[in-house]
Amino acid sequence: MLDNILTILIFFPALAAMLGFVVEKGSIRAFGVSVATVEFVLSLALWYAYDPSVVGMQFMESMPLIPAFGINYLLGIDAISLFIIVLATFITLIGIATLGEVKNIKNMIITLLFLEMTMIGVFSALDAIVFYVFWELSLVPMLYLIGAWGGPKRIYASIKFFLYTFTGSLIMLVGMLFMAYFYYQATGAWSFSILEWYRLVLPENLQLWLFVAFFMGFAIKVPMFPFHTWLPYAHGQAPTIGSVILAAILLKMGTYAFVRFSLPMFPDAAVFFMIPIAIIAIIMIIYTAMVAYAQEDIKQVVAYSSVSHMGVIILGTFALNVEGITGSVFLMIAHGVVSGALFFLVGVIYDRRHTKMMSEFGGLAHVMPRYATIFGVMMMASVGLPLTINFIGEFLSLLGFYKQSHILTLLAGTAIIVGAIYMLTAYKKAFFGEVTNEKNKNLPDVNKREMFALIPLVIITIWLGIYPKPVLEPINNSVEAIVSLMNEKAITQEAKNRIPDPMAAKVSTPHGGTH
Amino acid sequence: MEFYLYLALFSPLVGSLVAGLFGARPKTLLTGLFTSTLLFTALVSSTILLVHILDGGDIIHVELMTWMATGDLYIPFGFVVDQVSVVMMMVVTLVSTVVHIYSIGYMDHDKGFNRFFSYLSAFVFSMMILVMSDNFAGLFIGWEGVGLCSWLLIGFWYHKESATWAANEAFIMNRIADLAMLIGMFLIYWTTGSLQYDIAFAEFAHVDVETLTTIGIFLFIGAMGKSAQFPLHTWLADAMEGPTPVSALIHAATMVTAGVYLVVRANPLYDLIPDVGYFIASLGAFVAMFAASMALVNRDMKRIIAYSTLSQLGYMFVAAGLGAYWVALFHLMAHAFFKALLFLGAGNVMHAMDDELDPFKMGGLKKHMKWTWIMMTLASVALAGIYPLAGFFSKDLILEVAFVEHHYILYAVLLITAMMTAFYSFRLISLIFHGTERHKQHGFHPHETYTFVLIAMSPLAILALVAGFLFKGSYIEMVTTLLPATEYHIHSPIVFWIMTIGTQLLVGLSIAYAYRKYEHAKIDKKIEDNFFYKLLINQWYIPHFYEEYITKPYRELSMIAWKQVDLKIVDASVDGIANIFYKTGEATHNMQDGNLSTMLRWMVAGTAVLLILAVAFTTGYLMLLLAFIVGYLYVNRLRREYVR
Repeated sequence: MLDNILTILIFFPALAAMLGFVVEKGSIRAFGVSVATVEFVLSLALWYAYDPSVVGMQFMESMPLIPAFGINYLLGIDAISLFIIVLATFITLIGIATLGEVKNIKNMIITLLFLEMTMIGVFSALDAIVFYVFWELSLVPMLYLIGAWGGPKRIYASIKFFLYTFTGSLIMLVGMLFMAYFYYQATGAWSFSILEWYRLVLPENLQLWLFVAFFMGFAIKVPMFPFHTWLPYAHGQAPTIGSVILAAILLKMGTYAFVRFSLPMFPDAAVFFMIPIAIIAIIMIIYTAMVAYAQEDIKQVVAYSSVSHMGVIILGTFALNVEGITGSVFLMIAHGVVSGALFFLVGVIYDRRHTKMMSEFGGLAHVMPRYATIFGVMMMASVGLPLTINFIGEFLSLLGFYKQSHILTLLAGTAIIVGAIYMLTAYKKAFFGEVTNEKNKNLPDVNKREMFALIPLVIITIWLGIYPKPVLEPINNSVEAIVSLMNEKAITQEAKNRIPDPMAAKVSTPHGGTH
Repeated sequence: MEFYLYLALFSPLVGSLVAGLFGARPKTLLTGLFTSTLLFTALVSSTILLVHILDGGDIIHVELMTWMATGDLYIPFGFVVDQVSVVMMMVVTLVSTVVHIYSIGYMDHDKGFNRFFSYLSAFVFSMMILVMSDNFAGLFIGWEGVGLCSWLLIGFWYHKESATWAANEAFIMNRIADLAMLIGMFLIYWTTGSLQYDIAFAEFAHVDVETLTTIGIFLFIGAMGKSAQFPLHTWLADAMEGPTPVSALIHAATMVTAGVYLVVRANPLYDLIPDVGYFIASLGAFVAMFAASMALVNRDMKRIIAYSTLSQLGYMFVAAGLGAYWVALFHLMAHAFFKALLFLGAGNVMHAMDDELDPFKMGGLKKHMKWTWIMMTLASVALAGIYPLAGFFSKDLILEVAFVEHHYILYAVLLITAMMTAFYSFRLISLIFHGTERHKQHGFHPHETYTFVLIAMSPLAILALVAGFLFKGSYIEMVTTLLPATEYHIHSPIVFWIMTIGTQLLVGLSIAYAYRKYEHAKIDKKIEDNFFYKLLINQWYIPHFYEEYITKPYRELSMIAWKQVDLKIVDASVDGIANIFYKTGEATHNMQDGNLSTMLRWMVAGTAVLLILAVAFTTGYLMLLLAFIVGYLYVNRLRREYVR
């Protein structure tokens, strides 16, 4: 079974979703949870079977699709994709399990299962075309989620989301086609295999153009400043589950793609664009944190904070050394857990009060102490307190980039200040003070169903904050492979200097220093 | 011995978690007793470790497990008990045990009793991590952990706007300094390849002074946040919103001294960069005087003590900056005892006076609360540095250090500050305990606190009395195995005696003056209109300045960023681009209205354009220009016709 586990992981939820159409409405919830559970267990099996000591892709599957153009159904994962896949199945599971009362619940669960397929497809595809297909397919269920279950401006938000990201992806597709064409010119054979593309050393000039083409697709997805404005609308209108998945997984497609495509394929371009991108990342960090501080709607605070944290991820990615990239990949997971949890938490209060305006709340700590505690833990994780999952990622990302630029890291480091400002202010507004609003006097605290989603997230947040090794070590090994590939491929002297060879460092200072 | 290390470290954590389980429940005395017992266990373990180290035993160094490892970075959870950390452990566990027992009485009627003990023990755990870690990252865990607990405890009464505001202020201001701390750590890592103290310190010998200076500055900025040095000092006075035991433990005895501990711990670094050290000392002296000046006029009992803490932290930094690390650490320890005692006494007074903080409304309390009076007076005498109390041995030593190192300006500043210290301390004592019973007009019925609370406080009182002459010898012997063992003696005996007796006299006179002046608590209107009085009572207008010139602009800028930039520029241009497509679509969809003649015309137009382009590319750009003109005219005509 392990030989085809990725295919099973991808298509099992899709098949189950189709089956879902004939399931009775009363039992669809149980059906959805069972499917998601099986899927989650499968992904855990994948983690269990994954061998962190092996360098390169594992669980590879290959089947020709269009042999004439070298398009194959090519799958495989390394640790970078592995943990995002596990996170995706996990978030989908708790998302479905904790769905509240929604209309057309059947359609929603089917949509979520389809979405799960596209997510896992993106993170396990090793063929550019397969990747692109899943990448675009993921838009459809999300469009439907926002458009069908969203708030009053849902149509505007969903169309904006779709068109904006779609435009970016088209430019990326052009880049992919050109890449394949260049591969054809260089080798005489067509290939869309990412692994084949890795081997190609492109002239610097070409790298720059292709980097920009791919960048457009990824940057809008992340979303990077100034392409981020679709996100507040999408989050503002999406139902809770939509926001959770969007923030936890879908945004990671962009950052993941940077690590999967941009870095190993265009190392010189990555060095060339490092500083401009770092500046964009810093703008994301500071500017969106300020915008978050100005918000009146607590969900918008979380939405903008999400963009701000993505800035740190981007910065870590473009540190171009093992510490930074490992940190940024870890932060992808961390951000998935923490911002996912925060959106869940916002959903909890929205379900009770049908408003997200902070001015409507105040003093919630009196009436909902458990809710306040869990929110507090997640807020502190979001702020990046040590021994929470976020700190590891942020610390390593910034540490890594410090090697490249001291002053830019200092600016980016303000993330820990501005983050504390908007988060603590929002928390104070919602939870502290006296209960002034009559409607809040008798709010029920977090119930069992919600606990089911929140407690595991809290546990992961603290567990991986204290003991990140099970995740950090495999990621580290995969990142080392990427960095040494980049170092090997780099043409310009500048790039050679900027990208250290992790293997060389290993020899001079053995792992762990003098211990 | 490792067992005792883990026992000392983890008992507070266990206490905190257990108390946390009962967090939302109504008061159960058990949480208080349980956490106190565990704290006492930690105290006993620390004492055993202290005895071990005092006996010349080996430094205990353990590694619990790996925390982060990636690339060349390797950070373990490692802990070390050496001569420096064991002193800190003693201070932390001792004061916190006292404060825990004290709080059982103090928080007696509070709804959040269990929650309080959970937070308090969590704080002790963080503080233990801070002082026991064997690397900078571990220190940073504790550093942020105490920050979190401080946030929780300042804002403990979260229904109060002022409390939550102060909590946020403290957290955010500390975060500013923490960023510098992080940057310092990054630089250490990329310079030495490790964050372990021993490796990094050994490497520093081979690092150029410029880099070391940068590291030293960044680490010190980190220290400035936690130890509330100017200009990051405003949070400490506002932090007095928290319950008084918190002020005693966190904002007097332990957390705020973390910055001093950091400088002492990094002594191999600061020894190599004396210029930064001199800057630290100068800033310390400035803060000592600056904070004392605000304490002179304040009318809030807790704030006065808070400013006093700030001022004493300045003293510690003077010593640390001048390379007298063991002196700084000694003052840190002595100060912890008498300042915690002072705060706890103030807590008793607050309880007696229904949380009234203005000493001008008190007076004559010594009749009602004899033991509190004795203990607070003792603590104040120690703080003033009168022989033979603890403060004399530690604080006068700092003066001597400044003198011996020929920093006479620093010496003068510190001497004047010592007089100010004596003055404001006894102003407070006089106002609270002596003179007429003004509280009667306000309808208070003061009473002494529980006996067990007084007994719990007594160890601190005894230590404030004897810590100086009893422990100094063995302390020096112990810590100077690790810290530079410079001795600070004034060689000429005449100068020594003049200075010592002179200082004592000046301090004594200040005490007498304060006592006389405030015995009757007359409020002098003329002084209150004085410019300097206004300056001081408004804390040199610094909080006002921060509010007007940092907080407000940030808030306004954030609004602009959202409403003007994000919505009106960034998003509007996206929508604008989309609108171009919509509009062109709308404007041109009539082109394909199915009318054969319209479509034929467009076809002709298209063919013409293509032809012209073809001609242009073959014959040159002049033709192209011509073609455009012709094309434009044609299309225009077509359009006019079409509009019609």
